[in-house]
Formats: sequence, C-alpha cells, structure tokens
Amino acid sequence: MTARKKILLIDDDRDFLMATKIILESGGYEVFLAEDGKSGVEMVKSVSPDLTITDMMMETWGEGFAVVSKIRSIEAGKDMPLIMLSGVDLQGPYQSFEPSEESPRVDLVLNKPVKADDLLKHVKRLLG
Amino acid sequence: MAVNTDKGLILIIDDEESIRDGCKQALEKSGHVVLTAENGKEGIRIARESKPEIAFVDLKMPSMSGMEIIDILSRDIPDIVSIVITGYASIVSAVESMKKGAYDYLPKPFTPDQLRAVAKRAFEHRNLKMETRMLRDEKEQMEKNFITFVSHEMRSPLLVIEQYLEALRAVAGRCLDKNANDIIERCNKRIQGLKALVEHWLDISHIESGIFEPEKNPVDISGIITRSVEEIAPLYHIRELSIETDVSDDIPEVTGDGESLMRVLTNIMGNAAKYTPSGGKVSIRAGHDEYYVSISISDTGMGIPKEKLPFIFEPFYSVKREGEEQKGSGLGLNFCRKIMEAHGGKIEVSSQVGKGTTFVLKFPK
Repeated sequence: MTARKKILLIDDDRDFLMATKIILESGGYEVFLAEDGKSGVEMVKSVSPDLTITDMMMETWGEGFAVVSKIRSIEAGKDMPLIMLSGVDLQGPYQSFEPSEESPRVDLVLNKPVKADDLLKHVKRLLG
Repeated sequence: MAVNTDKGLILIIDDEESIRDGCKQALEKSGHVVLTAENGKEGIRIARESKPEIAFVDLKMPSMSGMEIIDILSRDIPDIVSIVITGYASIVSAVESMKKGAYDYLPKPFTPDQLRAVAKRAFEHRNLKMETRMLRDEKEQMEKNFITFVSHEMRSPLLVIEQYLEALRAVAGRCLDKNANDIIERCNKRIQGLKALVEHWLDISHIESGIFEPEKNPVDISGIITRSVEEIAPLYHIRELSIETDVSDDIPEVTGDGESLMRVLTNIMGNAAKYTPSGGKVSIRAGHDEYYVSISISDTGMGIPKEKLPFIFEPFYSVKREGEEQKGSGLGLNFCRKIMEAHGGKIEVSSQVGKGTTFVLKFPK
C-alpha cells in the first residue's frame, strides 16, 4: 500500500481550513493546516507536502504571492503543485490566471467556496 | 507661505489709510495679526500668499470693486470669511456682496468695539464651518469603512458555511437520505439569497457613497447581450424558457461600464425567468432612435399589477406573487436603476397582468 499523499492547506480562517480539510480527507489525502503564511512556509520545509493549497492571503494579491515566492524558493516547494484560492470573485484578466515571468508559479487559481467535487478533481489531476 | 498664528490672521483691504491704520490698531489690541493692502490687486496677492482667515474689504475702491475682490477671495482662499466695509450704508449693496459670498457687513463709521465684535463673530463662524466640514469628512470616512467592514464580515461567514455544506456533502452525501439532502439544498439556496443581498447592498452603498464610479469605456451592446445570455442560459434551461435576441446591425456603442451593465441585464433577465412559467419566452431587443440607444427585455410572465409598477424600483419593495418560490434580495431593481442613472440613462417598465412585463434600458445618444 502506498503512503497517502500529503496536502498543506494555508488560510487565515480556521473554519475554512476545517471544512476544506474534511473535503480533502474524504478524498483520502493526509492534510496539514497552517493559519498564516509564515507557518505555512515552515511546514513546507518540515512536512514536504505533495501539494499546497493557499489562500490569496487576506486582502491583497501581493501577500499571497509573497508566500508563494517563499515556498518556491525552498527546495521542497520548488516543483510542488500549488493551488491558490481567492475569496473575491476573480474577474477579467484574473479569471484565466497565467503565471508570468515575474510571478511565482501557481498551477491553478480557484474561487472560494470550492465545490468538493471540483477540488478533489483538480487535486487528483495535479498530483498526476 | 502662510503666517501662523493662534489668534487669527486678518487682512484689511481699504484705500483709506486712516481706516487701515485704525482697524489694524483696534484688532491688534485683541491679539490678532493684521495685514493691510491699499487696493484689490495687492490685497489678493497678500491673501494668496498668507492665507488669512478673515478679510475686511472696502466695497468702494477706485481700481477693483470690493465685490470683485470678494469673489476672487472666496474662490482662491479656502475657508476665508470676508466682511464688507461699506461707506454708504446701503443695504442693497451689502446684501449684494453677501450674495457674492461675504459673511457680514460693517457700515462706516464704526467704533473699534463694533469692529472687534464683527471680527469675533466672523472667527466663530469660521470655526463652526471648519468643524462642520471635519465632521462631515469623518462621517464619510466612517461610512466607507463601514461598507468595507460589512463586506468582509458578512461575506466571510457565508463563504465558510458554504464550504462546510460542501464538506458535509463530501463526507456524508451518499449516506444521507433524500430529506437530509433536500435540507442541505434549501440551506444552500438561502445562503445564495443572502449572498445576493449582501452583494446588492454593497453595490448600492458604493454608488451612494460615491466610491463607485462607472468606467467610461465604449460598450458594445451586442457583445454584452450575448455574454449576459450565455451567463443566464443554465437558469433558462432549468426553467424551460426560451430566449430570443434581436439586435439591430447599426446599433451604436454606448459609453459606460460594461461589467455593471451586464449585471443590470442579467438581473432583469433573472427576474424575467423567475416570474415566467415554464414554456414561456423572453425576448431581448436592442435598437436606437434619434435620442436613445435602447435595450428591451420582454417576458411572457404573470405581469405586475398597474398600481405596483411605480414602486418596483424602490429598495426592499417586493411584489407578492402567488406561487413565488423564492424571494429576491429586494435590491436588484434598485441596483439596476442606480446603475442606469450613473450612466445618464434610465430604466422604464410596462406590464400587463397575465401577459408579461417589458423593461427598457435607455442610454442617451
């Protein structure tokens, strides 16, 4: 039997973490939680997750991407699939988010709330 | 550079030297700092430079009249309070100057005490004026903060509840019987309703507080109709309604905010779907005449009674209709009207009970 894949979830809302954890566990994943960007980055180092899902981090785009940049600069996070969740409805150019040269690589951007089926489907695909 | 003084800076513009000196002495005695000028041109230069709080201006001077000076001062110097010194105690000219923005007038001859009394009143008036403005600014800021606060504090818990319902479905969906799943579905519906209410309320608050300014871009009418129809198509499919569009080829672009106009369209199309029995039809037509570019949305629904039509754009006014499954937010049409008004346009409605309702969006050409 192969070990369960590890997913790290970073969000500042504990309830959102719990709800999303339940969904991911129903898909058979082992889920680790971090309530802020800093501890999220630490956990990438200590846990070496197979995939990370992070909030766009509070109000600004900048902060979420700052966390992603940090994660990408760590060996364990360099090539890891990463999903970003947005609390605001993505509109216009952000709807189809394409990572550019300057921005750190984000594999997928999803709107909150996330449908359970959608989330599990995307996670499965990214974990290939 | 402005001269700083706690006691208040006063400017006196008068062509009579004796008046200038007399006023200066009298006002300095009560601790004011006094600047003087012997004509309008010099007075305005000093005022622009030193930003006095109060100005006494002689109404009748050779080169530039007191009225003109007051006009310029009240335009150039923020919060300045001007007082007219009038040689011929004519009520008419005093009233005229007060219309131009003077706060008070002082008829010659006057005693130092009278002068000081008028100055004191003028300072009090100025302080009140500034305090009022400060409070108003503060209130506006609080309103803006409140909107942001509500936005965050109301949306976040709703989002978390939705996510928990998804979690519940994920772990127990298959084990729950139909009743339990129905309950989850009802919860979801009510949350969607509450979310729509919050969004509409936010939109309207943004418009009312002046935060929202519609973009002024060229908007392709045909394009926003197509996109709105695409967006609403799933709802129409579920409710078994057909949708038909007819946009005239030569329709001109309108100037405005495409995103908000699309929301106006989907709002009205959503209403049409809600109040039209299955098998019905919604037609969207766009055309133009000499004055307006118009989009009309007609349904074959139950219609709105004539006596209720004037109120449907009011916030939280809801026409009670039989068999209505879901109540709206009560703000949708109010939002539509506000957006149309922000575009310099309007929204009109006509309806016949039992036959259907038509909404028309009109944009000025």
